[in-house]
Amino acid sequence: MRKTGFLLKEEHSGYLMSLPYVVYFCLFVAFPLIFSFILVFHRWNIITPMEFIGLGNFERLFHDVQFFKALRNTVIFLLIHIPLQIVVALLFATLLSQQIKAKGLFRAIYFMPVIVSGVVVTILWMQLYNYDAGILNVLLSKLGLKRVPWLISPSWAMPSIAIMATWKNVGLYIVIFLVGLQNIPGYLYEAAEIDGASGLQKFFYITLPSLNSAMVLVIILSTIGGFSLFIEPFVMTGGGPMNSTLSAMLYIYNQAFYFGHMGYAATLGFSFAMIVFVVIIIQRKIVERK
Amino acid sequence: MKKFVVYLVLIVGGVIFFYPFLWMIMATFRSEIDIGYPGLFVKSLTLHNYEIVFKRIPILRALFNSLFVSLSVTASVIFFGSVVGYALSRLKFKIKGLILGVILFTMVIPFQITLIPMYILMVKFGWVDTYLALIVPGMISSFGILLFRQFFLDIPQDLIDAARIDGCNDFQILFKIFLPLSKPVMITVGIFSFMATWNDVLWPMLVIRTRELMTMPQLVTLFSIGGEAEGQLGPQLAAATLLALPIVVAYAFFQRYFIESMATTGLKG
Amino acid sequence: MFIVFLWNLVYNLNPISDSLIKRTILFLSVLLFVVGCVRDVGDSTSEVNEVYLTYWCSPNQQEIELAQKVVEIWNDEHDSVKVRLQPIPASQSSEEVLLAAIAGGTTPDICSNMWPGAMSDFIKAGGLVCLDTFPDFYDVMLSRVPDDLLESFRAEDGHFYQVPWKCNPVMMVYNVKLFKEAGIEKPPATYSEFLAAARKISKDIDGDGKPDRWMGYRDIKPIWWQRLFDFYPFYIAATGGGTLFKKGKLILNNPAAVKVFSFFQRLYMENYFPRSTLQGDQFLAGNIAVQFSGTWIVSYIERFKREDFEYDIAPVPVPDDYRGPVYTYGDPKNISIFSTTHHPGYAWEFVKFLISKANDLALLRKCTQIPVRKDLVTDEYFKEYFKENPKIRKFAEQAPYTRGVDGVPDLKEIFHIVSLEYEACCIYGVKEPGKAVQDAERNAKVVMEWNRQ
Repeated sequence: MRKTGFLLKEEHSGYLMSLPYVVYFCLFVAFPLIFSFILVFHRWNIITPMEFIGLGNFERLFHDVQFFKALRNTVIFLLIHIPLQIVVALLFATLLSQQIKAKGLFRAIYFMPVIVSGVVVTILWMQLYNYDAGILNVLLSKLGLKRVPWLISPSWAMPSIAIMATWKNVGLYIVIFLVGLQNIPGYLYEAAEIDGASGLQKFFYITLPSLNSAMVLVIILSTIGGFSLFIEPFVMTGGGPMNSTLSAMLYIYNQAFYFGHMGYAATLGFSFAMIVFVVIIIQRKIVERK
Repeated sequence: MKKFVVYLVLIVGGVIFFYPFLWMIMATFRSEIDIGYPGLFVKSLTLHNYEIVFKRIPILRALFNSLFVSLSVTASVIFFGSVVGYALSRLKFKIKGLILGVILFTMVIPFQITLIPMYILMVKFGWVDTYLALIVPGMISSFGILLFRQFFLDIPQDLIDAARIDGCNDFQILFKIFLPLSKPVMITVGIFSFMATWNDVLWPMLVIRTRELMTMPQLVTLFSIGGEAEGQLGPQLAAATLLALPIVVAYAFFQRYFIESMATTGLKG
Repeated sequence: MFIVFLWNLVYNLNPISDSLIKRTILFLSVLLFVVGCVRDVGDSTSEVNEVYLTYWCSPNQQEIELAQKVVEIWNDEHDSVKVRLQPIPASQSSEEVLLAAIAGGTTPDICSNMWPGAMSDFIKAGGLVCLDTFPDFYDVMLSRVPDDLLESFRAEDGHFYQVPWKCNPVMMVYNVKLFKEAGIEKPPATYSEFLAAARKISKDIDGDGKPDRWMGYRDIKPIWWQRLFDFYPFYIAATGGGTLFKKGKLILNNPAAVKVFSFFQRLYMENYFPRSTLQGDQFLAGNIAVQFSGTWIVSYIERFKREDFEYDIAPVPVPDDYRGPVYTYGDPKNISIFSTTHHPGYAWEFVKFLISKANDLALLRKCTQIPVRKDLVTDEYFKEYFKENPKIRKFAEQAPYTRGVDGVPDLKEIFHIVSLEYEACCIYGVKEPGKAVQDAERNAKVVMEWNRQ
C-alpha cells in the first residue's frame, strides 16, 4: 500500500508545490520589472522598432511641467486626505468602542462605501458635485448659501476628490482603528483614572500612542491610494480644470495610451514608484519615532 | 446626556454614509427633470433609465464576464495560495528562503512600475481582448500565499506526521487535512481577491476593447464618459446602481466576513 | 503542462478528497479548458476554399447598420469572397485600438474608420498596404475626388495608404426659435455678430443668480480631440483654410489663432458658454442656442427632437475682418487595407465596392454623413436626396471648403498642448490669448523636439 512516489520526498514536493509561483514570478513580476528597466532607456510606441535614447526620458521628465504638476496634485490630495481620514476615522472608532447599542449596524453602514466599486462612487458624486443641478449645491442654495464650484474650479477640484475619497475609504480605517482600540489593555485606563487623568489626557497619552501601528497602516494605505488615483479624475474631470486633478496614474495612462510613449510612460511609472517608496519610508520613520 | 451626543453623532455619520446610496437608488426611478431633487420621493416614477441601460449596453453579459473573471481568479488564488503557502510553511527544500524573500519583495513593488510592461506582454502574447488577459495575471497573489503560510504555520506538526505514516503525500495532506481547517483564511483570501478583481477598472481598460468581453465596472465607466449615456444622468446612475447591486447584496449577507477580510488585507475598492 | 498537473492532482485525490476542494479543482480545470477553447475558436479563421476578409467599421449604431447592409449585398454577389463585419472595439479612441492591433498582429483586412492624423505611425510600422501599387488606383481615385484633395493624403514617403471616404464638416447648428425670440434675424456670421447674439440669448430665467440659458456649450475636459470641435474649426476658418503646419513647420503662433482664443475667452468670461458640465441634451431642451457639430447631428436631432423643435445650419463664425469662403474642419475618415491581409487584391475590390455610388448614397441616407466625392451636389444620382434633405445639402456644399489635420506624428500631443492653453486662456481666463498661443507653440516645439532627438 505504501507508495514510493516522487511526491513522498519532502524536497521534491517542495519544489513542485512552489513551481507555480516561480513560473508566475518569472512571467509577471521579473520580466515586467526587467522590461520596465529596459523601457526607460528607450523611445517606443509598440509598433515601430525601439529606439535607444539613453537618459533622454529622464531628461524629459526633469523638464516636464506636467510631471511636477501631477506630483504636486498628489501631495495636495494626500495633505487633505490623510488628516481628514484620520480625524474622522478616530472620531467614529472611539464612539463605536463605547458601550452602545447597534454597534454592528453602524459599523456595517460606515463600511458600505468601502465595498462598493470606485466607479459607482465616482458616478454618484459627480451628480452630488454638479454645479447647476447637483444636490449639494441645491441644498446650499436652499440654505441661502453660495454654490460651490466643486469640480470646475482649479482650486476646489482636487479637494473635492479628496473629500470623496475620504468618504469612500474611511469605513476601512474606522475598522482598523477599532481593532487597535480593542487591543489597548484596560488596566492602562484604570491606572490613569487612579492618577486622576481627564478624558482628553487619557486620549492623548494612552489611546493615541497605542494606535501607532494602526496609524502607520492608515497613512501608508492612503499614500499608496493617492499615488494610484485614477478612475476618479478619469471619469470626473479628465485631469482638468487646468491640470489640477491630473494624477500620477492618469498622466501615465495619457502618455502611454493617448500619445503612445511607452518608454516615457514606463519612466514615469518608475519614478512615481520610487517616490512612493521614499515617501512611505519617511512616513514610517516619522510616525514610529513619535 | 453624553450617550445622547454619542448616538447623535453616530446617526449623523450613518446618514452621511448611507443616504447618498439611498438617494442614488431612488433617483434611478425618476425622469431626467426630477433627478436633481435632493429628497427621496417624487410623484412620478419610471423604469425608463433602466430601459436605456439594457438597450444600449450589454450589461448582463458584462455581469457574467465580471463574475466569471472574478470567480476564476479567486478560485485560482486560493488554490495556488494554499499550495505554495503549504510548501513555504511546512516543507524543507533548498530555495525556500529565497522564494519567501522574493514574495516579500514582490509585495513592495508599486504596480506603477509593472503596468506598462504587463500591457506590452499581453499585446505580445496576443491576449488583448481575451479572458486570458483578465484572468492569468491575477491567478497568483503573493499576499494570498503569505496569508496561507501564516495560517499553516500554526497547524500542529503531529497531524502531518500521522498522515505521512498513513502514506499520504503532501498534496493529500494539504487538501485532506490542512484546507478543511483553513476556512477562515480561505474566506479572507477569497473575499479579498474577489473584491480586488471585481472592482479593478484600470487593467480591463487597457486589455479589453470588445464590448462583449468588458467587465461590469469597465463597461459602466465607458458608458458614463462615452457618448452612449448622452450626458443623461438617470441612465448613468442606473448603470452604477446595477454595478453596485451584486456586491451590496453579497455584503448584506456576509458583512462580517467582508469587514474582517478587507480590514486584515487593507483593500480598498 | 498546467492541465496535466491539475489532472494528476484530481486523480491522486479521488478516493478521499473533500468535495469542496474537488469542486474547486474541477472548476479550475474546466475553466482553463474553456478559456483554451475560446482562444482556439478565435484563431481558426482560415477555412478552406473560401476567401474571408475582415472589415472593421466605426462602432456607432448608424454606421454599423450601414456596414451590415453593404456587407450583405457584397456577400450575396460574391460566392468565393466573403466579408465579415466587426465594429471597431469600443474604447476611448479608435486610434488606440488600431495601435494595439498592429502591435499584436491582429489587424483586420480593411478598416473604414482611419483618422488621417494617426496614419504616420501606422505607415512607419509597416502596418498598411501601399494602395498606389494597384494598377487602377489613380483612375478610381481621380474619378472620385479632385486632384488636390487626393494629393493632401499623400504620405511622407510619396505613396498613398488611404482612400478618402467620408467627411463631417463641422458647422454651426442653431435653434431657430430661440434666435427669433431674441430678435436675431439671420445666423451670426462674424465674431461680433455671434457675441451680440450671445448677449441677447444668455440669461438667468428663473432668477436664482446664475444663468440657465446659454449661447452654446462645449465639453471643457482637457482631452485633445475635444479641440477638434471648437478651437480647430474656428482656426481653419479664421486662417482661410490653413492648418497647424505649413511646409512641415508649425505655424500655430499667428494672428488668426490669437483671434480664435480671444473669441472663446469672451464667450466664457461673459458667461455665454457655461463652465460647468450640463446634464442631458440641453440643446434639444432649448436651453442652448448653438452647437458646433458634424453632419451626423442631423440624424441625431431628427431622432430625438420634440415635434416643435426647429433648427438650421450655418457656417462657423469668422473674425470680423475676414473675407473669402468660410472653411472648416472636415473630420475626414478614410479607408485603409492592412498589411496582415492575405488577399490584398480582393480587399481592394471590396474597398472599391464600399465607395461605389450606390453605397455613397446609402451612407447619406443611413448615416447622414458626406461622402468625399466631387460634384456631389450637382450629380443627378444624388439630386433627389438633397432635394429631400436641404439641411444635409448645406453640409455637402461646405464639404469642398474643409481641411483635415496634418499627418504629423505628434499631432495628438500638439492638440493636447493647445487644449491646456485653451483651458487656461479661454475657459478660466488666467492667460492673455497672445501669450497662450505663443506658449502653445513653444511647448509644442519642445515636445516635438523630445520626440525626435
